[in-house]
Amino acid sequence: MRDFSYFRAENIEAARNAAALPGAMLLAGGTTLVDLAKCGVAEPATVIDISHIEGFNAIDVTADRAIIGALAKMSHVADNAEVKSLFPAVSEALWQAASAQLRNMATIGGNLMQRTRCPYFRDPANFPACNKRAPGSGCSAIGGVTRGHAVLGTSEACIATYPGDLAVALVALDAEVDLGERKLKVEDFFLAPGATAEQEHDIRPGEVITAIEIPGSASARRSTYIKVRDRQSYEFAAASAAVGLELEGDGRTIRDIRVALGGVATKPWRVRAVEDALKGKALDEATVREASELAMEGAVDHGANHYKIALAPRVIARAILKLGETA
Amino acid sequence: MNDQVTISPTTLSVHLTINGRDHSLDIEPRVTLLDALRDRLHLTGTKKGCDQGQCGACTVHVDGERVLACLTLAAQVEGRSITTIEGLADEDGTLHAVQAAFLEQDAFQCGYCTPGQIMSAVACIREGHAGSDEEIREYMAGNLCRCGAYPHIVAAVRQAAKELRS
Amino acid sequence: MTVHDMKHAASDSARLEAVGGRLSRVDGPAKITGAAHYAVEQQLEGLTHAVVVGATIAAGKVSAIDTRAAETAPGVLAVLTPDTIMELNGASDWLGNPPSQPTYAPLVREVTFSGQHVAAVVAETFEQAVAAAALVKVWYDESPAIVDLSDGKAGDGIPIDAMTKEWGDAQAAFAEAPVRICAAYNTPREFQAAMEPHGLIARWEGDELTIWEPSQWLDGMARTYAEWFGVPFENVRLVSPYIGGGFGSKALALAHSAVAAAAARMLDRPVKLVLTRPQNFTSYGGRAATRQTVAIGADREGRIQSIVHRGVNETAVDGMWVEPLGSVTSIMYATPNFSSRQNVVRVNTVVPGAKRAPGENPSAFGIESAIDELAYELGIDPLEMRLINYAERDPHAKKAWSTRQLREAFAAGAEAFGWAKRSSAPRSMRDGHQLIGWGVAAGTYPVRRAHGEAVVKILADGSVEVESSSIDMGQGTYTILAQTAAETLGVPVEQVSVRLGDSHFARAGVTGGSRLAGVMTGAVYKAAGQALDELIGLAIADPRSPFHALQANTLQVRGGRIASPRGEGPELSIAELLSAVGRDRIEAKGDSMPANSTPEERYKNYTTIAMSIPHTEGDYSRYSWCAHFVEVRVDEDFGTVRVSRVVSALDSGRLYNPKLAESQWKGGIIMGIGQALLEEGIVDRRHGRIVNGNLADYMLPTNADIPDIQTISVGIPDPHSSALGGKGVGELAIVGIAPAIANAVFHATGKRIRDLPITLEKLI
Repeated sequence: MRDFSYFRAENIEAARNAAALPGAMLLAGGTTLVDLAKCGVAEPATVIDISHIEGFNAIDVTADRAIIGALAKMSHVADNAEVKSLFPAVSEALWQAASAQLRNMATIGGNLMQRTRCPYFRDPANFPACNKRAPGSGCSAIGGVTRGHAVLGTSEACIATYPGDLAVALVALDAEVDLGERKLKVEDFFLAPGATAEQEHDIRPGEVITAIEIPGSASARRSTYIKVRDRQSYEFAAASAAVGLELEGDGRTIRDIRVALGGVATKPWRVRAVEDALKGKALDEATVREASELAMEGAVDHGANHYKIALAPRVIARAILKLGETA
Repeated sequence: MNDQVTISPTTLSVHLTINGRDHSLDIEPRVTLLDALRDRLHLTGTKKGCDQGQCGACTVHVDGERVLACLTLAAQVEGRSITTIEGLADEDGTLHAVQAAFLEQDAFQCGYCTPGQIMSAVACIREGHAGSDEEIREYMAGNLCRCGAYPHIVAAVRQAAKELRS
Repeated sequence: MTVHDMKHAASDSARLEAVGGRLSRVDGPAKITGAAHYAVEQQLEGLTHAVVVGATIAAGKVSAIDTRAAETAPGVLAVLTPDTIMELNGASDWLGNPPSQPTYAPLVREVTFSGQHVAAVVAETFEQAVAAAALVKVWYDESPAIVDLSDGKAGDGIPIDAMTKEWGDAQAAFAEAPVRICAAYNTPREFQAAMEPHGLIARWEGDELTIWEPSQWLDGMARTYAEWFGVPFENVRLVSPYIGGGFGSKALALAHSAVAAAAARMLDRPVKLVLTRPQNFTSYGGRAATRQTVAIGADREGRIQSIVHRGVNETAVDGMWVEPLGSVTSIMYATPNFSSRQNVVRVNTVVPGAKRAPGENPSAFGIESAIDELAYELGIDPLEMRLINYAERDPHAKKAWSTRQLREAFAAGAEAFGWAKRSSAPRSMRDGHQLIGWGVAAGTYPVRRAHGEAVVKILADGSVEVESSSIDMGQGTYTILAQTAAETLGVPVEQVSVRLGDSHFARAGVTGGSRLAGVMTGAVYKAAGQALDELIGLAIADPRSPFHALQANTLQVRGGRIASPRGEGPELSIAELLSAVGRDRIEAKGDSMPANSTPEERYKNYTTIAMSIPHTEGDYSRYSWCAHFVEVRVDEDFGTVRVSRVVSALDSGRLYNPKLAESQWKGGIIMGIGQALLEEGIVDRRHGRIVNGNLADYMLPTNADIPDIQTISVGIPDPHSSALGGKGVGELAIVGIAPAIANAVFHATGKRIRDLPITLEKLI
């Protein structure tokens, strides 16, 4: 990697000031920054270590809301008893991500900011053309090996999949990200590539994620995250779904349902079409499977990723059915 | 040291506490903990399998938690307590229960992933993630083994977890 | 040849330590404490660091290289290019054939595969070398490349006549057979992916070269280095006491090896060069992609009348590799008519190489899937089908099997697995959303043999040293040689130290073909026997010996102590005896080369494979055998396949150490699971380049993918295969797993997948 300067930020103000400097990149766990620096994708002039700042790793969970500090470790949040009981999809999305070691290093804020696993993005030496890395240079993935690429939210500039899990659960549960001066819905924090593939997040120079906040609800309490992948663990999703469910008193009519997809889109993908089709309906297998197909409206495949169009609705359906079986 | 070595202008003075001992290094910020251990401190027990956070061979403990040294900057862990495979056995050479179990269960073949497996296993048990074979398999999935010692690794972790509980 | 009878020890602990005992690895303590030093972990004065730069095109020429920025980067000592690197001599190949060119350039101007080394940077630190390497700018004149096996530009390829095996009239018999199946089976490019990346440290002292490099063949690689640099063979010392996995990939000195040694020569400083993990996918060959068609004609009772087999594998544009695809097809089943032919197709890729069970592994995928398809076609149980067509002798070599416990393997495996409970129809077994399938397949691997040698020393303190340049890459060589020496000499195994992996030790051929244990236990047995004879001879005959007065015919050694077998007279430790007769050591070299072998023949035996002993030499055909029974669970919505149970029964003859053999078997099974379900080198066809050259995207099985595996040994001592009665272990178990899984997936889903890996999109 290219050499860089290293500074430890003592407090959040120092972090914000340093983050606004050109060529500065924040280091929390390091699992994205150090990885991409080794690939030659990230070339910081200055690395600002925010991992020693105190006061931003609290996990504060009540039935009404969870407020999780941006520097909380993925592993700690995954294992937190209240998170498991009141926001199970969040815990499940976390423990099924990466590996135990990476989850001990990576922070909640850093996890949101992770970049795509597109092999063309990650290999500047062999593939100079990448609109994320070099706006306007073209997309090396289109026409290439596309098995892992997105079928939703793509554009002619970029078809790279957002690979994260946590954000999918957060988007399903209407979570917000706290940037200090502003709060955004996580769903709006992530940006589809459009003509500006290099812009992945609505974040401005000098802004630092300080926390996420998830509103509590019945569907948050009855939620799950199913992740389908080639091997059993330590792999990004071929397709994943975060689902939250609330039933009426009769135990079969759907009062509220939240659905979001991972592994198939350029950003965590809330699927309101499926939600709207199922609200007020009886939770039975045929209805659920049929409604889940609506998630693929507008899907565009690029050859090898065609299977995601068949797979994704089934992941949604199975997640809903799983929640329907358990109280 | 060879006096032809060029110290770059951005060299840091980094103090690392490893296996209870303090070390002082003058290194560039980009030096990873893994390369600091292997190349500067001659602690070669921690292995480099991929240098990209994809295999687990470089697993060490930072403040008792298992992490990957290849994706950790040495500068980042100044002030934290680092444990490597060399620091696991007692001073008098008594093996850690996990090490002894690995030996008995033949939980290794070529041995290259083994220090990482052992460090990972010690932490896995400490985390409370060794309650069943299925849980062990999942929580040890971040340590690849190409020789295929997995079933014996599971047996070793199960055995050591039981021993450490009693 | 008779099996040398080991003096089976009396007590339990002695039995543990004897050949056949479940002794824990003697190199275990070093490995579990981090004390074992692998190749690039040596600490040397003045060590420098080198990084190679790989070509970004698959075919063409380097038109220009700009090294100015790299040269002036901090810490850089040299930037090597085809123009600046020292010239090397061509080296002979592993058969000992002279080089095709008089010179060798490990950095190339003519590029024939993506990732080929075109430049290298040497710097004071690793970080400086990596950063400077990124500053090297290379321009290319790109040519059209043949990107993979199915590239139209590749054509039909080159016929390999030596692979042709034929008897009877296969085409006619197939056409006349009442029942016929014919299908194509494909395996992709695969990689060994050992956990230790390839790399080395090279150091010159005058004209003497020391190389610390993970190596499966110290003598062979030392010869290559000697020839490259035009120095005597004795001037090269290869040191490799621990190897972090090889699986066939670490037996040759490669381009990056030459670059490091050349840089060390040019700079007169030691050079450490490690290939990055992505470079490990392009710098040397993994298993070639293969295609086979298997056509089987049978009668309505299921008896095979004819097998027609055609195979093709990819090779490099400028290198030849043949993956013998008819190797299992031609011997597994009895058939009166048979035809197998093979081509290779030149592709712009690095020369493919050996990966565990080259030839047998993909060959078994073809025939063991095909016979299963035939079974279903006829409504015959797949296990029964294999027994109906059991070959009582080698149908190709027309010789008796030396031993073949395959029926026993089928029986033991079926019993332990519960095969009899199988419901025959596909999609007839399920558990919730999971379709359950059971599959069976057989595997085999020839017994490769060679001449070997070893040195055994008895030292003044009574300890024993065994020395060989052979290696342990996890198969347990250290341990089984300790057991062999301990039992032969009658000393406790703690008194034996085994020293391996130094080419200055007694010579050894390649550790490949699963032959090492058989070769080396024989050599150590012989050397230890000679040392014992000398020890006993001294004890009996030397006037200073306390036994001299006894006038005994023989003495025995137990637990490191010498006594008369009849219990009369003195009883001494070995150390006491040596001291009494004024000797500080006994040293014996045992080797199995013919007695009148010349130095040239010895050199050839250890530095080439040209003198390997064919497995069908003489009256017998020698193979290891296995039967795999596999249960899979396929999610009916997701198409994901998980292996939930494996029972394998294996015939590797007599096991020198069952604990270690089981580990090898399980390792092979797990690698086979990876092959079946996960592993594939994916080529971007526009560029002829692998795009998943890393351990996240080229998927190896994780711990979570692997269930309990039960292995059952059904072997008996095979006197025709080795001195101590063992047959090959290491490459056996990977053969047959992929078809067993494909067969199980068919049973679960009714879908027959003939292209590996069996990934979810092929099933949904």
